[in-house]
Amino acid sequence: MLLGISLLVFFLMNLAPGDFLTPIKAQRDISPEYIASLEKEFGLNEPWYWQYALWLKHVAACDFGYSWSYKIPVTELLAQRAPATLLLSLCSLVFSWLIAIPLGVVAAIYKGSIFDRATSWLAYFSLSLPEFFLALLAVYFAAQTGWFPTGGLTSFDFEFLSLAGQLKDMAWHLVLPTVVMGVGNVAALMRVMRANFLDSIRAEFVTAARSKGLSENQIMFRHVLRNAINPLITTLGFSFSSLLSGALLVENVMNYPGLGQLTYQAFLREDAFVVLGAVVLGSLMLVAGNLLADLLLAWSDPRIRHEK
Amino acid sequence: MQPTKSVECDGANGLRMFYSPSCAFVFATAILLAACFSSCARKESVKRKHLPPPVEADISGLPPGQHGGVFIQTSPGEPNTFNPLVSEDATSGSAIGLMLEGLTRYDPVREKVVPGLAKSWEIAPDMRTHTFRLREGVCWSDGHPLTADDVVFSFAAIYDQRFPNRGASDQTVDGHPHKIEKVDALTIRITAADTYAPFLQTIGWAPILPKHALQKNFDDGTLMKAWNIGEAIRNPDSIVASGPFLLHSFRPGERIVFKPNPHYWRADSAGKRLPYVDFVIMRFVKDFSASTVAFASGQCDAESITPDNVAWVKKSAALHDFTIHERGPSPNSSFIWFNQNPGKNKDGKPFVPAHKLKWFQNKKFRQAVSYGIDRRGIIDGVLFGRGTPLWGPETPANAKWFNPSIRQYNYSPKEAMKLLNEAGFKLDSNARLVDAENNPVSFALNTNQENPIRQNMATVFRENMKTLGIEVQLQFLDFGTFVSKIQDSFDYEAGLLGFTGGGDPAGGKAIYLSSGRLHQWNPCQPKPATEWEARIDALMNKQVKTLDENERKRLWGEVQEIMAEEQPFIYLITPNAYAGLKNKWKNIEVPRIGSIIWNLDEMFLAP
Repeated sequence: MLLGISLLVFFLMNLAPGDFLTPIKAQRDISPEYIASLEKEFGLNEPWYWQYALWLKHVAACDFGYSWSYKIPVTELLAQRAPATLLLSLCSLVFSWLIAIPLGVVAAIYKGSIFDRATSWLAYFSLSLPEFFLALLAVYFAAQTGWFPTGGLTSFDFEFLSLAGQLKDMAWHLVLPTVVMGVGNVAALMRVMRANFLDSIRAEFVTAARSKGLSENQIMFRHVLRNAINPLITTLGFSFSSLLSGALLVENVMNYPGLGQLTYQAFLREDAFVVLGAVVLGSLMLVAGNLLADLLLAWSDPRIRHEK
Repeated sequence: MQPTKSVECDGANGLRMFYSPSCAFVFATAILLAACFSSCARKESVKRKHLPPPVEADISGLPPGQHGGVFIQTSPGEPNTFNPLVSEDATSGSAIGLMLEGLTRYDPVREKVVPGLAKSWEIAPDMRTHTFRLREGVCWSDGHPLTADDVVFSFAAIYDQRFPNRGASDQTVDGHPHKIEKVDALTIRITAADTYAPFLQTIGWAPILPKHALQKNFDDGTLMKAWNIGEAIRNPDSIVASGPFLLHSFRPGERIVFKPNPHYWRADSAGKRLPYVDFVIMRFVKDFSASTVAFASGQCDAESITPDNVAWVKKSAALHDFTIHERGPSPNSSFIWFNQNPGKNKDGKPFVPAHKLKWFQNKKFRQAVSYGIDRRGIIDGVLFGRGTPLWGPETPANAKWFNPSIRQYNYSPKEAMKLLNEAGFKLDSNARLVDAENNPVSFALNTNQENPIRQNMATVFRENMKTLGIEVQLQFLDFGTFVSKIQDSFDYEAGLLGFTGGGDPAGGKAIYLSSGRLHQWNPCQPKPATEWEARIDALMNKQVKTLDENERKRLWGEVQEIMAEEQPFIYLITPNAYAGLKNKWKNIEVPRIGSIIWNLDEMFLAP
């Protein structure tokens, strides 16, 4: 799969007009010798499949190549940006689970009530809002009220703050991107949670538990919740895969210094190895995420373990 | 139904139980947020180390000020490197420009070369040997003395084949590198291969590198990997500076913070060492619009403003206490040209159909098109009146080199029609223009889609041409596609593009020489195709070999006349330039061309 994806990306980038050297070719004070020497250095004078083969050979030796514009190894470049994206994704994941699960449960328990209808309506509304639009709204909100920063991860005086001050500063910057990234997820998770919970409530084991005289609290939160949450654990695996790649649009709109911003700029500049590195990283996370989801499910649901 | 009901009433308990930790979380977040708000107003005061200026410090001619203040600028895009040998984009260049200096500097306000790291120089009677004398007592930011060895080292690095860099060709004359000799610890002799008029200016573009810090990388061939952004993040102090500022911190995707170089070699007339500001912050934003918005909302101190944005930015001038300085015409040209390349592609098909090539190579046709363009209309319609019509390669911004007496093509469809008739064109019964063989005159005009101003100009042009009976198809292409069309495949008919001009006419070699890469109507000719192109070649080659400035002006003036007469580029307009700066800064000197904060080291905060 990784091979296929990287091949496709390489091919598509080759189809895109121009290459990394196009912008400097249009400048008047660049000598043709310099352009020729760069072309040779980057292998841009070779056909694309040959460039791909060379890249693959290096990757096999765990060398993802150098970024042409930054002149540092791609792995180092990705490592610089990955923590910020990871932080944002984790925050939004925690945020969406903490909000979605209780809301879903309550909506299921009070099925048909005003609360249920209001949350369903809100869920559909937020599902239909594209993330980047929400991000624009958030930036506008921040600019109008001044309550939150309009972008970035740290303030100007970050380096001069104490450790506690730095943490606060980052948390303050994280609020809006977290909410923006999380809202769509909250809606989806909440709807799934509600449906699962309703299914489980109607299951026979609930009647059995009631007839044994267990309290409603015990039934709902020990038995029903545990059964209803299983499908969500699979989603967790998918969320894991998007930890490093899911924030491309939001990062660009909100000027957040993460991988998405780097990848987007590298793509515009046709800095091929950086784009490939980011894509491979994203795909690796997807594979790892699926594995993780299966393992988690096996851990939480004894039926899956015992089938073997 | 019954179970559901019982679920409902008990669910209320469950709700309470379940919600308590969650409530605590929300509460905690609220407290955290409140704490954040209170911490934001805090500003740390910074202690600066003040060392006495060097013996031969350069004394600023502007009024003295006092130390302090934070200067904030925004930048669309961020540096890729802090290594001047690697840098090839404007953002990296401007960051490096704050930290490294050359032997000479250029004062854009007085339009002359002024001393830099070299205090003075002498030119030998052979007109190509220059002896530079360095300032005594100047040190790198880490306290290591700056000597002739650093200069020799820097040029060795620039010329080294192992390190291909953009600046190397600037430091050559007719393809030959200069000869660099150390005379003594503070004296350097640089011999160019031939007389070269802009020598003193271009020598200043070569950044002098610290030998003591980079010798190791030079020896083991890793010089291109030195001073990369990873290094800047981990160890900003390793980037040793000779300029006014050095790196305090670099956060990719967010900002760079520069601090003053305690060893900078300039001082004010009161003996205070420059620069005055305590910190310079370069904040990265998405694009030019975001940068303009940041300035208009008072978030940064300086910004160049394009003509289409002036009106709305001006509205908040009083609120955020800034002034928009009018700089007059910008050095940016825009022009339309026809593909006059007579060549054929690999399959033997001509780049341009033969009958069209005949029109494009006809001077009267090009002049008629030029008469048919309503430049005033473009300025009013596209730039809201904030522009200047352009007739030749130099814009009025470059006052020193601008030739005001070249031929002008003021809008006149009548004059255009007269020329077209002389060239054998006529209107047919449908009011379409046809040539002598009855081919209707029509062509496709390409420009890049990223630039809305160019697209609007192209649209006005199409309407203007309709008046002459010429049909123009507009094609908006991706910049990359467009560049490969005009430089590699040549399969296009007409193009609209612009150059950033200004500066010494020697910089136009690639454009005006018939062998030039950007001689776009017919690039890279082995020998000049026409007499007038041969004449331009001769003039261009002569003016770089002439040191007498008036003679150079005359030669370059003639090139401008030929370009205006022959119209290979049909020049359109130049937008006027505007610079916004906050009023709290003093010693502001906005030049006509170039960076508005070129003298950031001399700017200080009003008391």
